[in-house]
Amino acid sequence: MSEVRELTAWAPLRHPGPHLRSEPISNADWIDDLSATGPRHDTAVARLHDLMLRSAWHQVTRMPESATLGSRRREEIVHAAADEATMSVLTRLDAFEGRSRFTTWAYKFGILHTAVEVRRSAWRDREIDLDSVPEFSASDTGPEGYVEARDLSDAVGRAMVSALTPHQRRVALALLVDHVPIDVLAERLGTTRNALYKTLHDARKALRSHLATQGFLSPSPTKEVTR
Amino acid sequence: MTTPASLGPEAIRQLTMPTDPWLSCDDCFDQLDAVLEETLTHAAPMGDSFRVHLRACAVCHQEAHSLAALVAPDYGIDPARAEAELDAVLRDDGSPAV
Repeated sequence: MSEVRELTAWAPLRHPGPHLRSEPISNADWIDDLSATGPRHDTAVARLHDLMLRSAWHQVTRMPESATLGSRRREEIVHAAADEATMSVLTRLDAFEGRSRFTTWAYKFGILHTAVEVRRSAWRDREIDLDSVPEFSASDTGPEGYVEARDLSDAVGRAMVSALTPHQRRVALALLVDHVPIDVLAERLGTTRNALYKTLHDARKALRSHLATQGFLSPSPTKEVTR
Repeated sequence: MTTPASLGPEAIRQLTMPTDPWLSCDDCFDQLDAVLEETLTHAAPMGDSFRVHLRACAVCHQEAHSLAALVAPDYGIDPARAEAELDAVLRDDGSPAV
């Protein structure tokens, strides 16, 4: 990390780019330069860090949540995320298989680190009630199809209680009804985005199965693909 | 948490969305750059598991859109068009995306 810390000491504040070259750099050159030693390596890392700054600024400006954070906090997030993303790329160079441009592969790390930190910052002071079991009510769907919609909503509400485990229920409610971002919820529950998505997958399956037996959904064939 | 929880049409659609074939968030991230490049440059069909995951996972969907917009100029594509193409691929089965 010290390598990146030194870089950010002289990195531009808002407009990354002094090390970005206008001509494309081949995937092989990126890997060779980043794997080299001495000045060649340092220059390549500086170029990579500029890419990560660019992706971090791009991501911050796209997220409505970041508007409430203030310019100083946004700038902190951008630089911290660019540092972390640079390190992520450097430690995963062996995993790059050349299935895309190197820059496309690298940019996704900048986007991920930035998005996660913006969401965490935006939710930092927001309470998430994960303990209570709410009553369910259908929202007003208008006169057309009201009865059918109301019946389905009631059935889903009952299925939430009878077909899901307490953990599945609170994860599904937090993510899909209260719109808590998945990485924020993962942090609060001390788990991972991956594990929560699997819980949500299982909950959706259980709900669909339960509703199918009640005649509200037609059973659909499922094909589980494990990797 | 909202009490009582309001289960409107969008909440019900999200709660009952089929998410097979399964793909994890980690696998989605691993494949994202290659799948996106194929989609943007060759209009290649997206694999079922990847398409289903992007439709069902709001943050992966958001990050995929962001990457598409960021890299689009590298492939000579307008960012807005790249995002529209991604949406079109995700809507391939006629259902609305996340």
